[in-house]
Amino acid sequence: MRSQFSGLYLRELLRTFRNPFVLLITVVQPFMWLAFFGSSFANAPPSLVESFVGAKSYIAFLLPGTLSTSMLSVGMFGSMSTIQDKRFGFMKRILITPTSKGVIFLSKALGSATRGLVQFPIMVVAALVFGVSFQLSPVEWLAWVGALFCLAIGFSSLFLAITAPSTDWQTPGVVSNFITMPLMFASTALFNGAFFPSWMRAISAVNPITFSALLGRSFVLGTSVPWINLGYLAAFALALLGIGWIVAGRWLKVD
Amino acid sequence: MTAPAIEVKGLTKRYGSAGHGVVALDDVSFSIPAGTVFGLLGPNGAGKTTLIKVLTGISDISAGDATVAGYDVRTQSMAVRSHIGWVAAEVILDDDFTARENLWLQAKLQSLPDWEPRADLLLKYFALYDRADDKVSQFSTGMRKKLEIALALLHQPDVIFMDEPTIGLDVGTRRMLWDIVTGVHREFGVTVLLTTHYIEEADALCDQIAIIDFGKVVAQGTPSELKARVHGDVIALETSRPIDVPRLTAIPGVQDVRPQGNEWMIRATTAEAVLPSLLAAVPAETVRRISIEKPSLETVFLELTGHRLGQDEPMRDIRKFYAQMRQVRK
Ligand SMILES: Nc1ncnc2c1ncn2[C@@H]1O[C@H](COP(=O)(O)OP(=O)(O)O)[C@@H](O)[C@H]1O
Ligand SMILES: [Mg+2]
Repeated sequence: MRSQFSGLYLRELLRTFRNPFVLLITVVQPFMWLAFFGSSFANAPPSLVESFVGAKSYIAFLLPGTLSTSMLSVGMFGSMSTIQDKRFGFMKRILITPTSKGVIFLSKALGSATRGLVQFPIMVVAALVFGVSFQLSPVEWLAWVGALFCLAIGFSSLFLAITAPSTDWQTPGVVSNFITMPLMFASTALFNGAFFPSWMRAISAVNPITFSALLGRSFVLGTSVPWINLGYLAAFALALLGIGWIVAGRWLKVD
Repeated sequence: MTAPAIEVKGLTKRYGSAGHGVVALDDVSFSIPAGTVFGLLGPNGAGKTTLIKVLTGISDISAGDATVAGYDVRTQSMAVRSHIGWVAAEVILDDDFTARENLWLQAKLQSLPDWEPRADLLLKYFALYDRADDKVSQFSTGMRKKLEIALALLHQPDVIFMDEPTIGLDVGTRRMLWDIVTGVHREFGVTVLLTTHYIEEADALCDQIAIIDFGKVVAQGTPSELKARVHGDVIALETSRPIDVPRLTAIPGVQDVRPQGNEWMIRATTAEAVLPSLLAAVPAETVRRISIEKPSLETVFLELTGHRLGQDEPMRDIRKFYAQMRQVRK
């Protein structure tokens, strides 16, 4: 089981990071994101920014949220590799070896989460370039990465559980997109929750993206740290990992 | 006597719900002695790939029993999978990886710690050693196929499954693959179950053949046993006008006359002996084509199934179409 896991996990990483195009996009995208989205308030009066986001710099406000929402696309991207493996038959090659479906799921979920974390240092560097300064202790850095990792594991598991039982490749994509939007916008990742209507605030209050965004934001802005969020995110990751393991083990289908 | 490498009893596979789906395998039984090459010969859609999917554990069994390498396919699936190799009809490799990396991954999946010496040996055996560190996306079809066979052999399996090993290959590569199948079987001592819709392939490679049609095994035996089952020759006759069937049947030496597509199939003890009387009975100007077929697996197939191999796709589609119609109406 260890052998199969490490083989499949490394395969996930190698396949991504060997592709120079994927690497380039991975590096360039955070800069573009901050440049475009972050600059949209460039000429706004500082008082407006502060009242809108509750922070002096919109980029400092945005960075933890952006990192959190991008774990959603990380999860979706991860489940796409499952669809690909099914379409090109490679899933059959894996299944005609003594590899359990649960291990296939685990390697995909962890592979995709690891891939997602690579964005973290790049994004932080991009933020530095745009003038954000960081005053985090090592423990805080670690906690921030850990929170994002939990988020990535959770979403990867969620999307993998959606793709595993399906033999067509369109339904999972449509379903994933359907889930993504409310999760992204009904969170305080991109906007200040204080301006939300009550129903959006209700979604936001349980949305793991909110928990991760708020935790990260407290680190960047130096406000009081809601450590409990880390526990919430760990529970989220574990629960979805468990659900994904069961769903994939039972219903991972190629035929 | 050693235990059979594969034993299948009353194996049935149904796709879709009972009564509505397609019965891809219908009460199939056979036994394959260890160390032999067994061929499953049948047209497109006969159920060949389904049989491999079921025996390798990719698909569930609907009814019946199967053991592979001594393990029960239903209850000991993991054990089965560490004792089998699989070569897909469409070559399946990781195109982002080199040949050696594909072998590495296969070794990981089979939990082989000391895989490298064996991998080198296989790479050399298949003349891929010099290209071991090239991405397989740059390989020719023949090379890819060889690498796939190397992957299947890496963990020293007891049985390897080859689904239509030469489908879509040019004549030269097909010859090379035939040599490889024979060589692999001899040198590595594995039992081979291959499927094919090429009669000459089954004839050339297999110790035993099962002829499968519409999910049923209609005959099995060694190629020569099967050929001995047809007595006499077949004269295929195509005419522009209807023929006088009773008159032809009355010719001494003619066993029977039956339509087959737009041809007539006339079975005779010896074709040459009846030909003069036959031609006298059919107006010469109406004869479009006439040919004589000596006993071969082709005539065996024709005799057993009433149709020729590879001439029947439209009919099969109709069967599937009806199955779908039934499902829609439900
Ligand atoms: N996944 C599937 N779902 C439904 N029907 C299938 C499936 N796979 C195969 N079939 C049907 O089962 C029959 C046998 O198919 P297959 O085993 O692929 O034939 P062969 O390999 O001999 O060409 C065909 O009628 C085919 O349409
Ligand atoms: Mg097939």
